[in-house]
Amino acid sequence: MARMSRRAFLSRSAATALAVSGGVLLSACGKRDETGAAPGTGGPQLASPDNPVTWPIPADAGRIADGLAPEQGATLRVYNWTEYIYKKVVQDFEKKYRKYDVKVQVSTYGNMEEAVAKLRGGQVAFDVLFPTYDYLGKLVQGNFLRPLNHSYIPNIEQVWPAFQNPWYDQGWNYSVPYTIYTTGVAWRVDKVKDDIARLPNPYEALWDEQYRGKVGILDDYREAIGMTLLKNGITDLNTGNQDHLNLARDQLVELAKTVRPRVNTNDYIDLPEGKTWITQAWSGDMVNAQYYMPKGQSADVMRYWFPADGKGPVNSDLLVLLRTGKNPVLGHLFLNHLLDHDVAVENMSWNGYQPPQNKLNPAELVSQELLPANLKPATVLPAYFGTGFRYLELPGEVDDRWHAVWQEFKAGA
Amino acid sequence: MATKEAPAATRESGRAGPKLPRWPPTRGARRASARAGAWHPRWFWPAFAAPGMVWLVVLFLLPFYVVLSIAFGAVDPLFRTPVPVWNPVQWNPFQFQLLYDRVFGPDGFLGPAFVRTFVYVAAASVLCLLVAYPVAYYVTRHAGRRKGLILVALLAPFWVSYMMRMLAWVNLLESDGMVNRLLVSVGVLREPFPWLAGQPVTVTLGLVYGYIPYMVLALYAGLDRVDQRLLEAARDLGASRRRTFLLVTLPLSRQAILAGLVVTSLPMFGDYFTNDLLSGSPRTSMVGNLVNDAIGSPGQGGQAAALVLVMIALLAVPMLGYIRSTRRAAREAGR
Repeated sequence: MARMSRRAFLSRSAATALAVSGGVLLSACGKRDETGAAPGTGGPQLASPDNPVTWPIPADAGRIADGLAPEQGATLRVYNWTEYIYKKVVQDFEKKYRKYDVKVQVSTYGNMEEAVAKLRGGQVAFDVLFPTYDYLGKLVQGNFLRPLNHSYIPNIEQVWPAFQNPWYDQGWNYSVPYTIYTTGVAWRVDKVKDDIARLPNPYEALWDEQYRGKVGILDDYREAIGMTLLKNGITDLNTGNQDHLNLARDQLVELAKTVRPRVNTNDYIDLPEGKTWITQAWSGDMVNAQYYMPKGQSADVMRYWFPADGKGPVNSDLLVLLRTGKNPVLGHLFLNHLLDHDVAVENMSWNGYQPPQNKLNPAELVSQELLPANLKPATVLPAYFGTGFRYLELPGEVDDRWHAVWQEFKAGA
Repeated sequence: MATKEAPAATRESGRAGPKLPRWPPTRGARRASARAGAWHPRWFWPAFAAPGMVWLVVLFLLPFYVVLSIAFGAVDPLFRTPVPVWNPVQWNPFQFQLLYDRVFGPDGFLGPAFVRTFVYVAAASVLCLLVAYPVAYYVTRHAGRRKGLILVALLAPFWVSYMMRMLAWVNLLESDGMVNRLLVSVGVLREPFPWLAGQPVTVTLGLVYGYIPYMVLALYAGLDRVDQRLLEAARDLGASRRRTFLLVTLPLSRQAILAGLVVTSLPMFGDYFTNDLLSGSPRTSMVGNLVNDAIGSPGQGGQAAALVLVMIALLAVPMLGYIRSTRRAAREAGR
């Protein structure tokens, strides 16, 4: 993905900065909408694997009836991360429903904050959104989502059973899964002498001064702080323990001083281009990175490490329908389309992010040429969702303390 | 202003006539000057300023008030987006307190970023001046017929977007890029220098490169207005070339230098993408980066607004100094 990757790059461009500040201003000028949780009610409800949540379906939530015909001559408005969906997959959908003269218009955002600001502005009636799951609760409680009518989405049968009744949305009332990914460490064997995967603590290699200026850290406060916690054997990636956060802060500040890492989400570009030699990385980005290798160089110098016991960050992205959308039937059909095995595989062949498809045997990703052999550890196994750790939505007060750590790191104190 | 413009025009037209005008003009005088095409209703001249005023109010004052309302405002409990508080009576200075603690408190981790920003901008502005002054001087005094061509060439970088130019530098400055290959081959460097690995010097040079055309233009405009006869007079009176430059040209271009420093350094203070593209390392973070990061983070919008306001307050001091100095210069010139 490029998803997160291009997200940061774009969010950095001046144009987007203007758009973002414009968005802030617009949402500031607009009426305050009924965003649910009022002050003093203890904040929004938080879901976690130990605390699965079934989001309620209000009567006025706009769930559609069974058996409706698709909207005729409609433009389906899809709101997605930049470069997170294969154009061909979208065109296939248009072809499939040519009878109804469907057009799909994809608009993009660089990060969830930007997306939410625009949704709250309410000028564009988007039908489909690709949120991270830690935003699902906010979107439901803010009355942004349209409950799904399962009769339109038979392809849900094609995804891993865990995603047919996920803890963040029991009974998949509002969401279907899109992609899954792990966060690990990637490096180039032609630049890095050590076999990172065989080190007792591979995370520590990112602090190794011999790679000064050639280390990449993801520009994502949860991922970077979480990785530092894992390096120290702290596996609660949603901790509010200030001692743990202070430890992470001190080590990140030291990292900035001694190793001078590049902090961005261009891991899929920087590693193949040699701007970094070793980097914190998303599995999907590494699969995608092979296409960014300079001409004439082989991508087989890249490696990816994720703990073999599956004890690392493992997360997923979702697909939801927005209540403001004018084409709910087509929206359902679009979700169903993306859950189809062939479509999902085709999509992965372009963006590198694995869909949780039953028929897609993780062991065969390499033989199907969806994954180069040297990047086999970038495969996401179903078992990881039992062993791995997730970045959950944090209570506001804890979130602020995470941000304080991050701000201190980013300020280069 | 509105009341002064019209009489000035009337007086002007009156002076041309045989009789001194009376003020306030009589009906007859008004009609007469109207016939001469010189009298306008009192709203006429101010109307010229109206688009600018509307622009200022709608696109500067109102957004500025929004920034204030966000800096002193609250946070949405669900989405953690900033919620502006419009009524100043209810403003909460919490964000400023927090910012103060983060700059001056025991964990004053933002302090270095502020210091760094001022150092980078000061260094880059001075470098801009040192490079641009001779160029502007040459163009005004010695370029002759090629003046236009050279000016166009100096403006040419503006035809390419700032970001594209910076991305080009990223390629040139790679470990195996042209710059390193050149410097190694001529023996300046023994091995490639890691320009892009969080180097303050790269960021500073990036700022110089990005903003120098503004400096050249400001200096050119100023030097071009210097009265050549004053220089000739200085030479006639026996001043050497050097003394002429130091005692005549340089003092006369003081305003241009100040203007150039203002137009280059102000945008540098808000710059964040030069840093992001050429370094990307926290080691070279500037205040603009802190603002940009805070804007994109849930719950941190208030901090971003507070940072912006503190920066504006800090920069207002040299700006006021500049305005005072131009006014003084204008007064002296008028004397």
